[in-house]
Amino acid sequence: MNAFFIWLESSSLSLWVRGESGADMAFPVIISLHAIGMGFLAGIASMINLRILGVAPKVPLGCLAAFLPVAWLALAINVVSGVLLLVGYPTKALTNWVFYVKLLCLAGALWGFLHLRRQVLLAPTPLSAARLVAYQRVAALATLLWVAAIVAGRLLAYTYIHLMS
Amino acid sequence: MIDALTQWLKSTWLSKVFLHNGGWSWPLSETLHFIGLCMLIGSIGLIDLRLLGLGKGIRFLDLHRFVVFAVAGFALNVVSGSLFLIGEPDQYLLNHAFHFKVAFFVIAGGNVLAFYGTQFQRLKLLGPDDVAPLPARVMAAISLICWIGVIVAGRMLTFYRP
Repeated sequence: MNAFFIWLESSSLSLWVRGESGADMAFPVIISLHAIGMGFLAGIASMINLRILGVAPKVPLGCLAAFLPVAWLALAINVVSGVLLLVGYPTKALTNWVFYVKLLCLAGALWGFLHLRRQVLLAPTPLSAARLVAYQRVAALATLLWVAAIVAGRLLAYTYIHLMS
Repeated sequence: MIDALTQWLKSTWLSKVFLHNGGWSWPLSETLHFIGLCMLIGSIGLIDLRLLGLGKGIRFLDLHRFVVFAVAGFALNVVSGSLFLIGEPDQYLLNHAFHFKVAFFVIAGGNVLAFYGTQFQRLKLLGPDDVAPLPARVMAAISLICWIGVIVAGRMLTFYRP
């Protein structure tokens, strides 16, 4: 594993991310994009969850699907920026168990998002209030998982053991 | 003047307690700051995007209910952000990224006042499929740009420490 980290950290892409190849703005730009993507993805997904939990009850659930492309764009930005950050500092992330907690929380939150999209937002006929109740547990859990992913993500800066190999 | 302000902030009880309690309060405040960011962007984002034409079929006033999360997120971030400023004033007051952040903040704030002062009453009557009037659309665009600007300037703080 160590040899792999050393190889990856000496690659030109990794050097570029860390700002060690002349372009010293790469890292600040990537990390800014990651924060913007977080705001729109976790933010929009959580607002949809909150609608299912009873906030803004007059907003038709099916109409909220119009905002999904913005969430997908934010997801794409964060997958790309997240992978770049990982290429920049693979040892830092992969030797820290908090990073795996973040990934698991994200996987759960995204699963909840996709599940509610298919079952609630894209339901062929609008769900009655009684049927919506069945999805409230998923919506609450998914919102908590977004919060947990953000907590774990922020704590990565404080919990890593090795910065580089 | 900035020197005097820095010295005074650092001498406050809050500054000393915030920075000397085992080191957990800074990461905790940062975490709350990020959660507040998502609450603000999620709710304001949906409302602005609706004004810009996305999400037809949703009445503006019905969607506007989400604004409580923007207010809560904003309040959370004013509190956590003030703690950073009180804890380490020298890292912010002379930091150009912080000046940009404040500038975006002031524009966003003025925009909010202009929006509620001039547009809100008309928008209350907007039907589910109606297009928002041009001034409201312009303000929605300014809002999105400014809040994204606040995030970018905020992330840049680390890289422009004096």
